[in-house]
Amino acid sequence: MSHLSEDQLDHLIARERASQHPPLNEWRTIAARAREEGLIRESESHSWAAGQPWLQAAAAVLLLIGGMAIGRATIGLPTSTGQVESSVAANRTASTASGPTVPAISASASFASVDDASATLERALGDYQRASAFLAANGSGATTMDSSRIYSARLAALEKVGNAMESALQTAPHDPVINQYYLATMGARVATQQLVNRPVGLALKGF
Amino acid sequence: MPFDQLDLKRAIAGDERAMQRLWSQHAPHIDAVVRRLCGDAELAADISQEVWMQIFRALPSYRGDSQFGTWAHRIAVNRTLNALRKIRRLAKLETDIEDDSALTEQDTDRTFLAESIEQAMTKLSPGARAVFVLHDVEGYTHGEIGEELGITPGGSKSQLFKARAKLKMLLAHLVDESQPVAGKGKAHVAPV
Repeated sequence: MSHLSEDQLDHLIARERASQHPPLNEWRTIAARAREEGLIRESESHSWAAGQPWLQAAAAVLLLIGGMAIGRATIGLPTSTGQVESSVAANRTASTASGPTVPAISASASFASVDDASATLERALGDYQRASAFLAANGSGATTMDSSRIYSARLAALEKVGNAMESALQTAPHDPVINQYYLATMGARVATQQLVNRPVGLALKGF
Repeated sequence: MPFDQLDLKRAIAGDERAMQRLWSQHAPHIDAVVRRLCGDAELAADISQEVWMQIFRALPSYRGDSQFGTWAHRIAVNRTLNALRKIRRLAKLETDIEDDSALTEQDTDRTFLAESIEQAMTKLSPGARAVFVLHDVEGYTHGEIGEELGITPGGSKSQLFKARAKLKMLLAHLVDESQPVAGKGKAHVAPV
C-alpha cells in the first residue's frame, strides 16, 4: 500500500493551516450566553440618544450635575443647586473647619503641562469612581422605603448617560475624557444594578 | 476596524459591539484550533462557546504582555483540552463496558478513505490528534505540548510520529490523484 511522502503530508498540513473556515457559532449565540452570564451590559434603549444631539447634550449636563452632586455628597456638602449657591460663601470662610478630610483641588489650580493636567484628571476620576462605587454600595441611609425607587432612577439616569457617552465615542473614539466618563458611568451602573437587584430587606440591613 | 485598547476597555465594561468586534476578528483562528482539536463539528461548536465565555470572563486579566490573539489562543487550547479530558473520562467508562469498540474502530480505519487532512485527523486518537494539531498545525514545541498535555517531550514526539504515519496511510489514495500536492522541495515548517 502506497503512502504519502513527508513532503506531501507537510503540503497538506500547510494547506490546512492556511484554510479559512467560518466561525463555529453565530455572534447571537455567543452574545446570548454572554448576556446570561452578565458579561454584556444590557442597553434596552441602545439607540436612545443616537441621532439626537440635544439628548446627548442634556445627558452630558446630567452627568456633570450628577457628578457634582455625588462629589458634594461624598464630602458632606449640600447637593441642591440652591443650597450650593447659598452656601458657597460659608464654605469659603469655613474651608478649614472640621469635616471630612477630603483633599480639595483649588478651583483656580493651574497646570504646568498637559501631562500634569492629565495626571490630575486621572487621579480625580479614580477618586470619583471609588466614591461612586462606595455611594452606590452604601446608599444614603436617609430614605428606606423609597430606596429601590431611588436606585432605579439612578440606574435609568446612568443608562442614559452611558448611552450618550457611547454615542459620543462613535464620533470621538479616542477622546480620553469621553472614555474616562464612559468607564466611570459603567462602573457606577454595575454597582447600582447590584443594589437594584438586591432584596429590599438585605439592602436595608446595612443602614 | 482592528481591535485596540479602547475596544478592550469597552469589552470589559460589557459593551456588546466591542465584544463582537473582538470575536469577529479572532473567531476564525480561535474556532479553527478548537475544531481541529475536537475533530467533531458539533462538539467543537459547544466547546467554542465555552472558550469564548472564558475569554470574555478573563478579559480584565489580559495585561497586554503578548498579542491578544496569542493570549486568546492559549485560553482556547487549555479550555478545549480540559473539555476533551472530561469527555474522555466519560468515554473511557463507556469503552470499559463495550470492550469490543477499539477493535471495531481499527477495522473501520482499514477501509476509511479520507478526503482531506481534516477528515483524516478525526481518525486519530484524541491524544495523537492533539499532539499533531498543536505541533504541526499550531506550531507548538514538544516542550510546550508536554506541559499542556501532561506528557514528556519524548512522549509528544512519539505520538506525533504515530499520528503522521497514520495520516500518511489514510491519505495514501490521494497520491495519484493529487501529484501537485507533492510540493517537492517544500521545507517542513513545524517547530522541533
